Amino acid sequence: MEESEQSEDNEFEDFEDEESIRDVVVPGEVLTEDVKNFLPGRGTILNKEKTKIISLNIGLKQIKKNYINVIPLRGFYTPRPGDKVIAMIVDKNPVKYKCDINAKDFGQLKPKNTIKKGRTRGFRGAGGFPQEEVNTKKFDIGDILVVKILSADRLNKPELTTIGKYLGKKVGGIVISIDPPKIPRVIGRNGSMIKMLKNLTNCNIFVTQNGRVWLKGEDIAHERLLIESVNKIASEAHTVGLTDRMQDFIINEKKKRGIE
Amino acid sequence: MPLIIKDEYPEKLFRKDGKRLDGREINELRPIKMDVGVIKNADGSAYLEWGNNKIIAAVYGPREVHPHHLAKPDRGILRVFYRMATFSVFDRKRPAPGRREKEISMIIADCIEPLLFLELYPGTSFEVFIEVMDADGGTRCASTTVAALALADAGVPMKSLVSAVAVGKIDGKIIVDLSGIEDKAGDADLPIAITWYNEEISLLQFDGNMDLEEMNKFLDLAYEALKNIHQIQLDTLKSKYVKLQEETSNPNHKNDNKGE
Amino acid sequence: MMDVKRIISKIEKDYILSNLKKEERIDNRGLWEYREFQINSDLIASAEGSADVSLGDTRIITGLKYDVGAPFPDLPDEGVCTVMAELLPIASPLFERGPPGEQSIELARVVDRGIRHADCVQTKKLCIKEKEAVYILFVDMYVINYAGNLIDAGGVSALTTLISAHIPEGIWNEEKHETEWTGKYFYGQDIVNELPFVLTYGKIEDIIFLDPSLPEELVCDGKISISVTENKITSIQKSGSATFSIDEIKMLGNKSLEFGKKLRKELNLLQYLAKTK
Repeated sequence: MEESEQSEDNEFEDFEDEESIRDVVVPGEVLTEDVKNFLPGRGTILNKEKTKIISLNIGLKQIKKNYINVIPLRGFYTPRPGDKVIAMIVDKNPVKYKCDINAKDFGQLKPKNTIKKGRTRGFRGAGGFPQEEVNTKKFDIGDILVVKILSADRLNKPELTTIGKYLGKKVGGIVISIDPPKIPRVIGRNGSMIKMLKNLTNCNIFVTQNGRVWLKGEDIAHERLLIESVNKIASEAHTVGLTDRMQDFIINEKKKRGIE
Repeated sequence: MPLIIKDEYPEKLFRKDGKRLDGREINELRPIKMDVGVIKNADGSAYLEWGNNKIIAAVYGPREVHPHHLAKPDRGILRVFYRMATFSVFDRKRPAPGRREKEISMIIADCIEPLLFLELYPGTSFEVFIEVMDADGGTRCASTTVAALALADAGVPMKSLVSAVAVGKIDGKIIVDLSGIEDKAGDADLPIAITWYNEEISLLQFDGNMDLEEMNKFLDLAYEALKNIHQIQLDTLKSKYVKLQEETSNPNHKNDNKGE
Repeated sequence: MMDVKRIISKIEKDYILSNLKKEERIDNRGLWEYREFQINSDLIASAEGSADVSLGDTRIITGLKYDVGAPFPDLPDEGVCTVMAELLPIASPLFERGPPGEQSIELARVVDRGIRHADCVQTKKLCIKEKEAVYILFVDMYVINYAGNLIDAGGVSALTTLISAHIPEGIWNEEKHETEWTGKYFYGQDIVNELPFVLTYGKIEDIIFLDPSLPEELVCDGKISISVTENKITSIQKSGSATFSIDEIKMLGNKSLEFGKKLRKELNLLQYLAKTK
């Protein structure tokens, strides 16, 4: 499984739109009193008298058409159907796996969602038998999986699947976590940042919306540099010209540390 | 057996020049210093130094509720745990939480709850842990202030911040922000908190006696002080991000400085 | 690293282990290297001594309070020094509220024993009047952020707190049968003699390394903490399911004395003595 594709998400592209990176706002801050021309968008609310639009988050103020949004700088991951995320199995019983997806609820992975229909080869548990047993022997507690979210809403636990392109168990490498709202910047506009990181550090890297980054390089020196770079991107996510600065940073550090 | 030094209060709480014992004017706040992101493991955290008060707050959530029976199926819950360190007060405090700590935890939770959208997180909890490391009067107000900051730092959507201060009466004069001695020796103490999105009072207690005229004056003085505290909160939340924006947006300028 | 969770992923475990075998650690340390210590002292105005110690991302704030009480009948002329530790729920999602658990009791006990048996606190100097009144010192440690190796950070924190002590000096009034304040204070240098350091090693399979970080602590089979003074070993605590060979213990004893000397010089804790008032 090679990780060249990253999940695309239009909603998050706002963050990548460097033009829109402007004012840092905090909860309760008045974004505008011009409620005739502007509408409250994401991360905002009207006050009780409907005379002001105020921010709900610490984030960046963005005006898009006649909507005022606040792109959060801090926050947690809310699962949405279709997201591909890195999950860790924390518990299992004969009918389902319990997965930590860095959200408020644990995700549920049912065995039927781990077996490709109509194909049996490569499935360890059943050893090539035509009729596969539906059980939870395929994965173990502590395994890292890339999963897709099938369904998620406010009341129910998210349902997961490992059937699909780029999904399944990860072997080797390491997973690090950053603030989920900063993930779009690690990917960059049209994947520019992630491509640059990959090329300069020779590491495989897979980034998911729940704030997790899986990476694997040829040696620990490269991995260390990549981890530092990802953390630097996260802490400078609200600044402009980040891709160029990161490129300079990595080239410089490589020289300094004497790694190719 | 009593301690060697007795915890005694001076007869007079004003100096000869009309100022308070620590040299403050009647409506002057003690020096306040705040910081956010002080605890790496927490989802959000904040630190506050308010005179001699030193308080750390951390937020975890939304996460599963323990014990499970406290969970509400239709909304999230906010739990606040206010605790004092054994060495934060004159006589060593017993390590187990007492009645006072439980009451303050409750009123802080009640104060902050109207700001949050708990109905969006059914079955989960936000937990705010407040640890008073050093106490010198007004810890419930300081704790409320720092808890709001930690929640904002965690990226929890909230309608606005909340700020709190205590006003009181000593020797017949109304003063703002009582220190430890003034609190113990004074005649009246009125902790008050305000939610800024609608400028309404969200925490209010009173011990002592006052007439109606005094009450009006209490509230007016408190409002002025609260505005100052709110400004410090806003600056604290923003400064980290804005500073980085300024540094990175003008790299040439930075290099010039290095050259000199 | 991955979020702080009770279960650590298999790939992280493999990753840590395979790199330790190559004598590499993700934070760029060698096997026998500490993370950076940062020490601030006497920051709590209400306490008679205090310290804020960070070891990497692990952070502990410790404060000292005193009380005057009757001595133990079998030690009529000696004061008491007790150590308590609390793993605050702010410090990690792994820590829960409630009464102290095993981990916090172990932390307090290991630090306490390191101090007690090292002739660190001069308990005889804490006596005000034989059989009547002695000082009881409470060294209370609060873990603010948990990133592995609480014991070593706690040891330095407790020691710095004792060094920064400034305690009102009492004198026994025979007539009133009570202790009175002389108006003066006594300080860390009056009660602290030896400076014991505690060094904790983790063990995974047959690899031993100093100062385990949180992920290392979660994957390691066990740990061993060795307290040393200038030239003596004063306490040892093995925890976890790891077993150590006799040669390994001998090697660690040797190394601990060596590292203890180094740490004593580098941290120079005596600089944190309270300023004489």
